[in-house]
Amino acid sequence: MKRLIELYGTAIAGLAMVLAFVVLAPNFASPGNLLNVVKDTSFLAILALGFGLALTIAELDLSIAEVASLSAVTTGALIQNKFDPNLAVLAGLGVGLGLGLVNGVSVTVLRVPSLIATLGTAAIARGLAFMETQGVAFVGRWPTSFTGLSRGATLGVPNLVLWLVGATAFAYGLVKWTRTGARMVATGEAEEAARLAGIATARMKRIGLVLSGLCAGLTAVLLAANVSSAAPNMAGDYFLYAIAAVLLGMTMFEPGRPNVPGTVFAAFVLKALGNGLVLMGAAYYVQDIMLGLIIIGSVAFSASVVKQAAFKV
Amino acid sequence: MSEAATPILSLRGISKSYGGVQAVSDVDLDVCRGDVLAICGDNGAGKSSLIKVISGAQPPSAGTMTLRGEPVRFGSPHDALQKGVATIYQDLALAPRLSVAENVFMGAELTRRVGFVHWLDKARMREEAKRYLGRLSVSLPDMRQPVERLSGGQRQAVAISRALRWNADIIIMDEPTAALGVRETAQVLDLVRSLKADGRTVILISHNMRDVVALASRVAILSRGRKVVDRPIEGLEPDDLTHMIMSGGERAGL
Ligand SMILES: Nc1ncnc2c1ncn2[C@@H]1O[C@H](COP(=O)(O)OP(=O)(O)OP(=O)(O)O)[C@@H](O)[C@H]1O
Ligand SMILES: [Mg+2]
Repeated sequence: MKRLIELYGTAIAGLAMVLAFVVLAPNFASPGNLLNVVKDTSFLAILALGFGLALTIAELDLSIAEVASLSAVTTGALIQNKFDPNLAVLAGLGVGLGLGLVNGVSVTVLRVPSLIATLGTAAIARGLAFMETQGVAFVGRWPTSFTGLSRGATLGVPNLVLWLVGATAFAYGLVKWTRTGARMVATGEAEEAARLAGIATARMKRIGLVLSGLCAGLTAVLLAANVSSAAPNMAGDYFLYAIAAVLLGMTMFEPGRPNVPGTVFAAFVLKALGNGLVLMGAAYYVQDIMLGLIIIGSVAFSASVVKQAAFKV
Repeated sequence: MSEAATPILSLRGISKSYGGVQAVSDVDLDVCRGDVLAICGDNGAGKSSLIKVISGAQPPSAGTMTLRGEPVRFGSPHDALQKGVATIYQDLALAPRLSVAENVFMGAELTRRVGFVHWLDKARMREEAKRYLGRLSVSLPDMRQPVERLSGGQRQAVAISRALRWNADIIIMDEPTAALGVRETAQVLDLVRSLKADGRTVILISHNMRDVVALASRVAILSRGRKVVDRPIEGLEPDDLTHMIMSGGERAGL
């Protein structure tokens, strides 16, 4: 029983909360609203999976939101200027990957703690995003071949759901079933032991940070496709949410470790919570307060790797 | 150096300092194939520091190494493992929250390759981990339990199993029996004998002089970072070794 609560306690609490909204919040359970919650979960979960992969190698990637915003405006600029959508998507992903690599090199070669290195990258990405856009958003009638990435459906399943499933399967398969994943986990769990066991820990760290950037890039492309626009701070709101999703996820399934099912489930719970609060008429600032409490509470509860990563400075 | 045999590993002028602390000073050492070389010395004599240089865990501050006749410079433990030098560290170097199997196969995972992806073969790793532990007479019910829940001796067995996993021909053991009970200690000593019988070379750090006399073919004694004794074990009793360690030199008349 104790073990059950340890593994699933917060997951059950989250589920109970969602059920409470079903009963209490007007319209919460309508198919349209639920679908919206799930779609919104996709953006959050993919971004959070990246943060979780970085945390798997015991590094904090605080640049995810700004990297995503820069990726979005890069893609937006190309779409706006009538470039091939495929090229625009690749450019957006490339920006994410590139800045992830910058983070990886800063941490492993320049030996700047990730807490600082990724803050620096965030500032740079933010600056570049405002430079590209001159502070305004790209908005337009964008080709459906691009917007369809998010708004379309394949075989009746919304594409956003497919992206979520795909990203989840990729992250889970990588961490649980591949050699690279095992070495990333070992690096995050005990870096010196991993090094002594012959693991190229610096490379594992770069892989984790590159994947984090890539997830930010993918999130950005999907966000831009969903709203047919790109603004220089468009992913900003997802930052605390993504961190909260990973940390809350660390309280369930595999307590104390960033884990894929926990991250995705927590992302859903957080989005349902935000949505439910709005439907119940809570003021917008209640969400921020709630996120803060969840972040602190989760780490206090079990997120020991985070403490390690944050105190490496 | 033992008669006529060419050393498999030679150190010349190896020094290691940590900031102001001179842990190892100007050590020359030759190890021949099939030797069991015991390295002894007081706490802080520099034994662990010396083997960390040999295992690639730390770069030397000065000196050179020759392995199988070739000059080598290990930039990382990976280099040493690739060249057949595996080490059991004094602090075991385990990941406490990872499972027994994950620790045994850390860095040397068993995989199935499909395309460019190496998929973990978890079932085989659990089986093999069990087999390695069995060789040390340690039986654990579940290879999936985290190492942090094991006893000190069981952890030591996990660390030894990892080193065996590499199938290296030079095996360095830094106090491998420190946390072991009587039975497990006997198993490790047997293991060292069978490694020797296999023709492998063992470098053993131990504070137990009876074990050293029983197992080693040579002994090197360090004192404050310097090598003060290096000789065959023949004719030495445990007490002689203790005396040499305490006095920092050879006992007159031996
Ligand atoms: N990482 C380090 N940083 C600074 N000093 C160190 C470090 N490692 C070892 N030393 C110092 O180097 C000297 C030799 O230490 P070492 O661990 O090699 O001794 P040892 O012979 O293995 O001792 P023991 O029998 O206690 O294991 C000691 O003075 C120790 O304090
Ligand atoms: Mg030592």
